[in-house]
Amino acid sequence: MSEHAAFRSRGVTRRSVLGAAPVLAALAAGLGRPRRASAAGQLNIYSWPDYFSTDDLAAYAKKTGVTPNIATYDSNDTMFAKLNSPAGAGFDIVIPSSEWIQQLAQKGLLEEIDHSKLNLGALDQHLLNRDYDPGNKYSLPKDWGLLGVVYDPEAVGGEIATWDDFFRAGEKPGVSGKVRLSTSGWETIGPALWLEGKDWNKATEADIRSAGERLKTFAKNVKTFTGPDASAVANGAIVMAQTNQGKARTIIGLNPKLKWAVPGPWSELWVDNYAIVKGAPDLDQAYDFLGYQLQPDVQLAETQYIGFPAALAGLKDKLPADTKNADLIFGGSNVDFSKLTSFVVNPDTIGVYTQVQSEIQAAAG
Amino acid sequence: MASVANPRAAGGNRASGGAGFWRPLARHGSDHALAAVPTVWLAVFFLGPLGFTVVFSFGHSTFGSVTLGFTWANYATALSGFYGATFLRTLVFAVTASGLCLLVAFPVGYFIARHTTKRRVLAITLILIPYFSSFLIRIMSLYMLLSRGGFAEIVINALGLHSGPLDVLDSQTAVFIGMVYAYLPIAVVPLFVVLDRIPEPLIEASRDLGASRWEAFWLVTWPLSRPGIATAALLTAVPMLGELVIPRLLGGSRGVLMGQAISQQYLQSQNYPLGSAMAVLVLIAVAIVVGTLAWITKGFQEVGR
Repeated sequence: MSEHAAFRSRGVTRRSVLGAAPVLAALAAGLGRPRRASAAGQLNIYSWPDYFSTDDLAAYAKKTGVTPNIATYDSNDTMFAKLNSPAGAGFDIVIPSSEWIQQLAQKGLLEEIDHSKLNLGALDQHLLNRDYDPGNKYSLPKDWGLLGVVYDPEAVGGEIATWDDFFRAGEKPGVSGKVRLSTSGWETIGPALWLEGKDWNKATEADIRSAGERLKTFAKNVKTFTGPDASAVANGAIVMAQTNQGKARTIIGLNPKLKWAVPGPWSELWVDNYAIVKGAPDLDQAYDFLGYQLQPDVQLAETQYIGFPAALAGLKDKLPADTKNADLIFGGSNVDFSKLTSFVVNPDTIGVYTQVQSEIQAAAG
Repeated sequence: MASVANPRAAGGNRASGGAGFWRPLARHGSDHALAAVPTVWLAVFFLGPLGFTVVFSFGHSTFGSVTLGFTWANYATALSGFYGATFLRTLVFAVTASGLCLLVAFPVGYFIARHTTKRRVLAITLILIPYFSSFLIRIMSLYMLLSRGGFAEIVINALGLHSGPLDVLDSQTAVFIGMVYAYLPIAVVPLFVVLDRIPEPLIEASRDLGASRWEAFWLVTWPLSRPGIATAALLTAVPMLGELVIPRLLGGSRGVLMGQAISQQYLQSQNYPLGSAMAVLVLIAVAIVVGTLAWITKGFQEVGR
């Protein structure tokens, strides 16, 4: 959720120094308002901060004469709240994460995407037609990430292959008190649900609460729910952290002794998507921009800029050979998409996930 | 977010509407016009949203919107179980942090009031200088100072007070350090003002009448400084009740406080009624604090005259 700003945007090295930039980004989120499209050829994008390659934007402006106006948010819930209010009028394109697509669509905040206007053939088929938006009616994948673990194998004393390994390792002396958990309820409780053989999207209130109990007991081992501050993981203040592969790549770049794992039996795939806002003032421009973004060379440049993989198939082979830890951009060398699940926000249970997360955080205090 | 957007909008209104009605009003009494501007501002940008919050707090949540109605259910939830405990913990936390702040600020204010003359402006400037940078920047700087391998670690290791890496971040201790650091200046200033206005001859008189230095302080200076203490307590405890940033940045979001709980209800859970009920409860707590402090300082208007 809110931590995604630090996760997903590109300025990871700056952020690792500043450590807690999401809050700075939150301030920035308030500043952007769309300009009304008075003349033809305007494009208002509502996105995560620093989430488009500046070179690509400049090239697009040069090609079409339209400079996209970008307003930013630091969390999906902030974006949802804004689009769901009069302040959300005037945007053409928004970049929601997979978990919020369904709610945005149900509230009538997204335009259906006309597939005939775009060429989706070159995109990675693993990322299309997923549970959160069957048939990609409202969304097209922009880039994606995984929930995994960065850890110090020496401190942990072995490999982490499953979430059970993760929870057991956290209890060990030398690891306990140096663990980072996510701030997002479903990312902390999800692993416990998966170990019980449950689907986080079908879990009942009772399921979530009982899985949450395991986390509340585990909470005493947790150092922080914010960040993770890359330098704190690299220097050993944190020895085991839930995070995504982009952050992991930064951390392992600072300390190559550390390892990255996507534990089983299940883990999370989140996808950030292009979506068109209902009542977008300039639909033609929006489709034109999406078409531009989906071009292979632009997809490659975006990947290099944001540090997360764009949706183009076979992207890994197109990266320059000297890209450091290139595998990690794609979540490691052998990501099994059949063992990944995407969370979908459900109004009946999201409040439970949130409350149990608060209880876990309180239990850690 | 609204607070960022509002000044622009409101500033615009004033500039455009100003020329038309300003001149005739000025003849009748510019005081009224001057008072009207902030009054209208407050009514529109403070009372309006507050009204919505109160109305919402009695409604039903429909995820991201509210069905208006009348139910106490949100208040029942906000006051019971986990959220009730969070509310209490927040109150205790604000009172403790504010108390710590005053404890540190009183001697500083006392020193500036009693022992500086020529360098008084310099002393006050030094206290207030941190306010030239934004709150977030100050907290981020503190984060860097307190982190492993940071300046604080080097200093306390050099002084022999500690050995090895310093792991104070992501703890309640770090949150209290941050709270005292961030709110100290606004506690020092009212204390300095009130201490400065206690006439020196009063203390001399009490000494002439046989009071020891301690008695002179306890029987004269201390009671007369109560309005300053009350003001300082108010200025620190009230924002601490809603503090969101410090627990997150320095405390690793462990031990949830009311500010975080409210923001989670509004954003992550999209439950406006419950968030509103919690916000109203915090507001009532603030009103009680203000009322108590006003009562304590009753009859002190004449201090220093």
